[in-house]
Order: sequence, then structure tokens, then C-alpha cells
Amino acid sequence: MVDPAHPPSRRAPLRWAIGGVVPWLLLAAGQVVWIAFDRRLLWLHIVIAVVTVLGAAISLSVVPLWRYRVHRWEIGPQAVYTRTGWLVQERRIAPISRVQTIDTYRGPLDRLLGLANVTVTTASSAGAVHIAALDVAVAEHLVAQLTDIAAIGGEDAT
Amino acid sequence: MTRAGDDAERSDEEERRYVTPAGDDAERSDEEQRRYVTAPRTEIAWQRLSPRMLLIHPVHELLRELPLLIGGLVLGSTTGNQSWTVAVLALSAVVGVARWFTTSYRIEADPESGQVQLRAGLLHRKVLSVPRNRIRSVQTDARLLHRLFGLAVLRVSTGQETRGEHGSGAFELDAVRVEQVPRLRAILLAESPQPVDAATAEPVASSTVLARWQPSWLRYSPLSLSGLLTMAAAVGVIYQSGAFGPLQHSRLAKLGLEAAQRLGMAATVAVVAAVVLVASVVLAVLRSLVTYGNLVLWRRADVLHLRHGLLRLRERTYDMSRLRGGTLREPLLVRIFGGARLDAVMTGVHGAGESSVLLPPCPHSTAKAVLTGLVGDPDVVAGPLRGHGPRAAARRWTRALGLPLLIGAALAVLTVLKGTSVVPLWLWTAWVAIAAWCVLLAADRVAALGHRVDSRWLVMRAGSLERRRDCLATAGIIGWTVRQSPLQRRAGVATLVAATAAGVKRYPLIDVPEDQAWAVAAQASPWVADSIWARR
Repeated sequence: MVDPAHPPSRRAPLRWAIGGVVPWLLLAAGQVVWIAFDRRLLWLHIVIAVVTVLGAAISLSVVPLWRYRVHRWEIGPQAVYTRTGWLVQERRIAPISRVQTIDTYRGPLDRLLGLANVTVTTASSAGAVHIAALDVAVAEHLVAQLTDIAAIGGEDAT
Repeated sequence: MTRAGDDAERSDEEERRYVTPAGDDAERSDEEQRRYVTAPRTEIAWQRLSPRMLLIHPVHELLRELPLLIGGLVLGSTTGNQSWTVAVLALSAVVGVARWFTTSYRIEADPESGQVQLRAGLLHRKVLSVPRNRIRSVQTDARLLHRLFGLAVLRVSTGQETRGEHGSGAFELDAVRVEQVPRLRAILLAESPQPVDAATAEPVASSTVLARWQPSWLRYSPLSLSGLLTMAAAVGVIYQSGAFGPLQHSRLAKLGLEAAQRLGMAATVAVVAAVVLVASVVLAVLRSLVTYGNLVLWRRADVLHLRHGLLRLRERTYDMSRLRGGTLREPLLVRIFGGARLDAVMTGVHGAGESSVLLPPCPHSTAKAVLTGLVGDPDVVAGPLRGHGPRAAARRWTRALGLPLLIGAALAVLTVLKGTSVVPLWLWTAWVAIAAWCVLLAADRVAALGHRVDSRWLVMRAGSLERRRDCLATAGIIGWTVRQSPLQRRAGVATLVAATAAGVKRYPLIDVPEDQAWAVAAQASPWVADSIWARR
């Protein structure tokens, strides 16, 4: 199988970087509060701080770029095909004739950056196809295209 | 209940017509339309359940409030005022009777647009409505008390609630007369009544019996964990009811303690272990007998019927047109006695747990024969499988032996550095036993791993402690995932997951060689083979 053709939006790494670093920032804030109240066990503070900085750095630089290299999507005349993940990678294909719903999701961060996520669900909970971090225009076009194709086929969805 | 389709677990043909970005809205408007069309609906009278429940409800209420009752008894005996007990008894009776008066149901006439409604609840009134055209199966369940009064609980399922059928959202008529069940079932499923001989409830001649319980099936149950679990549950109930405290100071406990002191530590542990073992074996066998004794699985035209239970009688029907295969499960303890279990893979029936069981542990040949009858191809059920090659085998070995080898190395280093006195002999003995067990486990897992695929069936087998052979109709597969962890990428293998609306929804095939993964998918699903990515 050839990999799907289209990469996500160019702003996708930025979105993943911000989304990935936020939990680490919260952790860092917690540590600042902790150190303000309790200065015993200095070595423990240092160890946790190093881990936090490392984690933040990786989720800020390595993960988004890795993700951007892996994530791909494409719509064929019969099927939707995606590749996702970074460490653990997944390729998923679902037939458009069995598609049940096509959902678009835009979180606050997505709206800030002009991105949209499209989820294509089928009758199986193990078969939903997620296409993450697309430009809004691309996502709208994609949804329209999928709806058109899906409306033609009239097969049984199970 | 009808809105259960709103979340991700949309099951079945639900909503397949509404493929739009806002699929739910489309459905809603459709339903409103339907409601509008049938607006001048004639009021259909609400019906009560069987009045015999006036006798059963209070008893059930009492059983449900057993801890409270015991608490009342204890409180009564300590305060010397038994009115507490009487109060609890009276309250249970009143609640039970009120339950009957507050529950009613009705079935609207039109099988297409009509609804089945259930109105219930003492304090929280609720009305459950199920569109009649969405009803997928009707099950009955009669506990001992129900059977004594000739009643049965009728449970209607739309195949959407995959979160367990006993949840608060379950639509059940508790209870109706047994004589009414065939008629109600026929009405609800909009089919001709099943000619079941009412007197004996035996399947009539036009149906074929696929399997009948044999006493020899009991041999698979002694080693199951169900006996231990039953005992644990009993201990839990005793503890929760507050009877533990008085028991602690009773004469029985004192006698036991004295006996233990006389015997000494080791002997006491041995005796207790023996007693627990014997009790668990007896309980497990009894439980299996009571649950599955008299089990009959029969098929009539395109409907499978399953009935079992000596005290609590349960009856299920499965529509064959919704069957997408079957799973032959062979837990180690059943397999060593030459047994197997059989689960149905159905759309609209939860894949794990009791609702999909077709056969409890039974002889391997029986399970195979029944499954062969259902899928119609003996090779699918028993044919040879294609193994996953040396790299998949190597991964089984490293997984099973990695930890024991590490521990063994650590023990050896300790022995060399600190002398033999640090690591006692029994530790080494235990290590050898565990390592040997892991070797056997890995060998068994390697032997199990395999698949078989043609244009109609996908068969996958894996596991040792819980070995399963999943036979899946390829027509029911609606998605493929190829998943690789970094280690799998290095080994050149992948996990191929078939997604379906039936059974457990997710059927993984672990550690297929990378280059074979998509070939398997393409062989099973023409839409994968014909896709632009496969042809490019």
C-alpha cells in the first residue's frame, strides 16, 4: 500500500507544540509554588525540574515535527485513508460507503490558528478515522466531498 | 435510550442514511417529521404488569435491603426494641407494592412508526420509549420466584446500548405471565409467533436442536475461578451487612482459634487452603450446573434460540441475519480437558460477557460443530492457519522470558558478589519454576498465533491463557488499522486490526509480518484491494 498523499496544515506543528507544552507548563507552575513553600529536599526539586524541562523541550520540538512527518491523509473514490502518530504509528482505512457521520471539531486552539479536525465514523467504535489539524478551507472542502461520495452509495452500513 | 446513538458508539444500521456533517440534526428532524405525520395519535391505554408481582416485589425489595434488615435486627436486639425490624419490613413491603402501581407499559399499534413505552419509578418518574422498528432482540429471564408464580421478565433491546443490558436504561417488563411471552415477543419483533409448545416450552419439531447440555460438560467447571469469586462475594456480603462484628466474638470463632492454636501455623494454613479449594470446586460445579444445566440451543429458520438455567431460566433469540461470525474461546483450564466455549459475533449484541454466549465450556467437538453449522465452512472453524513467522515468534519469546532472565541474572550476580547465603535455595527453586512456566507459555503462544483469510472469512487465533479463534465474516469488516510501535517497526511486524460493528468491535491480529498486513486486508476486503493506494 502506498501512503496517503496530503500532509496536514503547515500550522499543525505549532498547534501540537502549544497543545503538548501546556501540561508541562502547569507542572512547572506547580513546582514553583512547591519550592516557594518548601525548600527542603533540594535534590528532588532539581531532579523534577530537569525532567520537566526535558519533557517540555521534547514536546515542543521533537514531537510536533515528528508528527508532521508522519501525519498524512487522502480521500479516494471508495475509501478514506490516514496515517497518524509519532512513536506508535497507525494507518487506518475505512470505506466511504459505510460512513455514518462526518464530524468537524474545532477547539479554542484550533480556532486561534485557523485549523479544524475531521472525524469520519463508521458503525464500529474501532474504525473511526481522525484527520487532525487541517486548514479550515481544506476541511470544509473535504467534508463536502465526503458527503457527496457517501450520499451516492447506498450499502448497508454494517 | 433512543438517543444512545448520539455518542461515538453508533452501532448498526443506525443513522446510515444520514450521512451529513450534522448527521444527528438530520436524524432529529426526520424523527420530528415522523412524529408530526402521526400526530393525531389515538391514546392507547397503559397496561399494568402481572398483578402477581404484588407478591414478588416486596420479597425482592426485602432481599435488596438485606443489609438494612440485618442492621435493623442488630439494632433491635441491642436496643431491645424490635420495632426497627418491623419498620424495615413494612417499608420494604410498601415500596414493593408501590412499584407495581407505578409501573405500566404500552405498545403502539403501528410496527413502523409506533413506540413501546415503559413508565416507571417511585420517586423519579421516567418514561422509556423505544421505536418499534429499532427493536433487535427480545430476551426473557425468570428468577426462581418468578418461575414459581409463572412469570418472566421480558427485556427489549435495540442493539444500541452496548454498555450492558442491566443498566438503568434497560427496557424491561418485570414481569409478565409466561403464557403471554410468545405473543409479546411476536408483536415486538413483528413476526409470526414461534410455535413453542407452551406446556413444556420445548422447541417444536420444525426446528433443529444444535446443542443440548450433557452432564459430562460439568468436567470443565471445577477449575474455573467462579467458585472462588462466589466465596469472595459471600464474604463481602457478610462483611457489608455488619454481621462480621458479632461473628468475631461468637463461640464459633473462638472454637476455630483454639483449634488453630492446637494445630500450629503450617497445619492451619494447609487445612484452610484445603477447605477453600474443596469449597470452590463444589461451588464452581454447582454454579455451572445451576446456570447451564438444561441448556438448549436450537435454530428455527433464521433465528437462533438459546435457553438455559435450572433455577433462573433465561432465554435469548439471535437473528441469524445479524450474525457476523463466532469466537471459539479456549481458556487454558478448559483447553487441557479438551473443551471450548462459543461466543456469537453479532451486530447489536455486546461482544463480551453473558449476552453473546452461545455455548458454555463444552467438548471441543460440540463447539466446533455448532460453529461450523453457523458459518457453513468447516475450514474456517478447524482448518490450518498461516503462522506469523520467526520474528513474531521471537517477540513472544522475548516478552515471556525477558523479565525472568533479568531476575535470574540479578540473583546470580548477588550470589557471586555476596556469597550463597544471601540468596536462599527456595528463591532459586521458585525462579526455576517461574522460568519454566514462562517457557511453556511462550511456546504455547507461538503455536497459537496464526490467521487464515479468504474473500468470505477472516480467521485469527492467538493467546494461551485465554486462547481465542475469531471467525469474522469479511462482509462485516468496515475498517482496517495497521499499527506499529517502535519495537514492531524494528522487527518488521505490525498489528492489523479489523474493525466491525459486531461483537467486540475490534479484532486485532498481532505481529503479522509488515509486508503481509495489507495483503490480508486486501484479500478480505475488495474495497482495500481496489483502492487507489493499493493499485498505485
